[in-house]
Amino acid sequence: MSPIRIVKHSVRTMARFKLRTGFMMLGSMVGVAALTFVLSAGRAAERKTIETVSRMFGDSAILIEDGGGHFAGGPRGQGSRLKLDDLDALARELPNVESWDPQQGLPGGSVRHGDVTERARVMGESERSEHVWGRKASRGEYFDAAAVKAADRVAVVGETVVRTLFKGEDPLGAEIRIGSVPFRVIGVLEPWGTDPHGMDRDNEVLVPITTLMRRVTNVDTIASAKLLLRNSNDAERTSTEIRRILRARHALAANEPDDFTIITPAEVRGMVAQVQKVLFLYLPLVAGVALVVGALVSAILMLVSVNARTGEIGLRRAVGAGIGDIRLQFLVESAATTIAGGALGIALGYAAARAAASRMHLGEVELITTLLFGIAASTAVGLLAGTIPAMRAARLHPVDALR
Amino acid sequence: MIELQHINKTYTRPTGEAVHALIDVSLRIQRGEFLAIAGASGSGKSTLMHIFGLLDSPDGGHYLLDGEDVSGLSVKQQARLRNRKVGFVFQSFHLLPRTSALENVELPLLYSDRGSTRGLGRKALEAVHLSDRIHHRPSELSGGQQQRVAIARALINEPDLLLADEPTGNLDRQSASEVMALFQALNKAGRTIVVVTHDSEVAAHCGRIARIEDGRIVSDHPVPQPKNLMEAAQ
Repeated sequence: MSPIRIVKHSVRTMARFKLRTGFMMLGSMVGVAALTFVLSAGRAAERKTIETVSRMFGDSAILIEDGGGHFAGGPRGQGSRLKLDDLDALARELPNVESWDPQQGLPGGSVRHGDVTERARVMGESERSEHVWGRKASRGEYFDAAAVKAADRVAVVGETVVRTLFKGEDPLGAEIRIGSVPFRVIGVLEPWGTDPHGMDRDNEVLVPITTLMRRVTNVDTIASAKLLLRNSNDAERTSTEIRRILRARHALAANEPDDFTIITPAEVRGMVAQVQKVLFLYLPLVAGVALVVGALVSAILMLVSVNARTGEIGLRRAVGAGIGDIRLQFLVESAATTIAGGALGIALGYAAARAAASRMHLGEVELITTLLFGIAASTAVGLLAGTIPAMRAARLHPVDALR
Repeated sequence: MIELQHINKTYTRPTGEAVHALIDVSLRIQRGEFLAIAGASGSGKSTLMHIFGLLDSPDGGHYLLDGEDVSGLSVKQQARLRNRKVGFVFQSFHLLPRTSALENVELPLLYSDRGSTRGLGRKALEAVHLSDRIHHRPSELSGGQQQRVAIARALINEPDLLLADEPTGNLDRQSASEVMALFQALNKAGRTIVVVTHDSEVAAHCGRIARIEDGRIVSDHPVPQPKNLMEAAQ
């Protein structure tokens, strides 16, 4: 009465019923693949989000946006009041501000070089942007304070711009036109990839903010600014101070809403937590439904099989099988099948996650994570699909089963 | 060697109605006997066979197998004993589909704790004259051949008792004769066989007939001259 012999026998039995076995495998494969895919791709997306968010905000930065209202959409109050002077004042009055960079942009600006015109994100920044955003020039150089002061027509371009506009030609020293204004390329930005909004951050042209405001957009307000803090523990207090100063400078009455928005590290952390919730709660929940359905399909097929094989169960009991032997056989049959299906599901889910990650620039998908999730999911399916039919088979009285 | 003493068995139907399947049944079977238990359907003969085969336990009375009282064994002990001491042959053969004759015959070995079992399956198939059908599946065999595979399966563990429940019920005349001839040959070689049947023609091949009606043994006597199919075959 060796269990090993019964295990081997059970696996052979499953191999004889290819259609049923195939459908059971399919059921567990689809469920496991869905869950593996969502969790592995989710892991990659989470890593990518945290990486980009921390690169954009750091954990010791405050973002100020022109216009009131809430971060990331929602109605905004009256805007276009934030000026370069406001930032100078903040930097002057708040000792916790280590450095700051104002921004003004031209989202879909047309950039021309020779006969080629491309759309790119044109950003006006200060010379401190290199430090504040932590993004350097990989070739050439960044514009300096003098260039910003003099509103020089110089530009630093991203790698995508180099590829599309210059087509492999050396961009340094070349002339580009933003709208009709000519600029001289003095540097190339180090690559950054895609940001959380799916925007290609290498398709950018950075110019001194003064030049952009005076010669291209012709405005005197800025869109946003990033402030680096010396002490991130004081972020909340600094944020309160910023609000007080800006409201005073904009002469807002007590009942008037802010005409700017302040984003603190706490809010950024909240945003990341929100993303994590979607990636690891809502999406897996949906995939979990697929897993449960797959498990149910397998369980029902196994139950049907137990019913159809009542006579066989009776016979096995008659020739000496104990209750445990019958239970073991049916457990092994369903477990072997669903785990084999699960293995295929893991492979499928991993391949899909890799494909998705590469399409969405999420970086590497960890095989080990995928394996862990997949094995856990397969085991869950196997237990679910195996236990109930096996118990049912074992409970049959031999006399009834033989009838 | 096999003795039933005052066996009672009562079932409860799903409707709550009690069915007295066996009432005070006593029966003694000697080693090497060939006994027919004859009776109409519903007479209690199947219940009697289930108790003989340790598939069911009596509510009262004692069952002595090989001198050992087995009426109070646990389900697990019963299963072990069935594997070692009892071989079953059923009306509907109960062969595993898509499985070769040899593997079907070897099925009881799966649940046995015997050491070496190599070659036993082939030997058992030889004993039922099916050496040339070892790798055939049930669907490739005739009814008579399938029942002979089932008999080989029942014999593989050299049981003390061979129990057959209407073994010819699903067979044509020719195959039925073959199966009965096989039983007679096995009995002649010393095997104890109990056949449960409603067919007096089948019973006439046995050495002794016990008739059962409404759960009681109503007659029990030897057959003076059993029909001898082995001689007829020769």
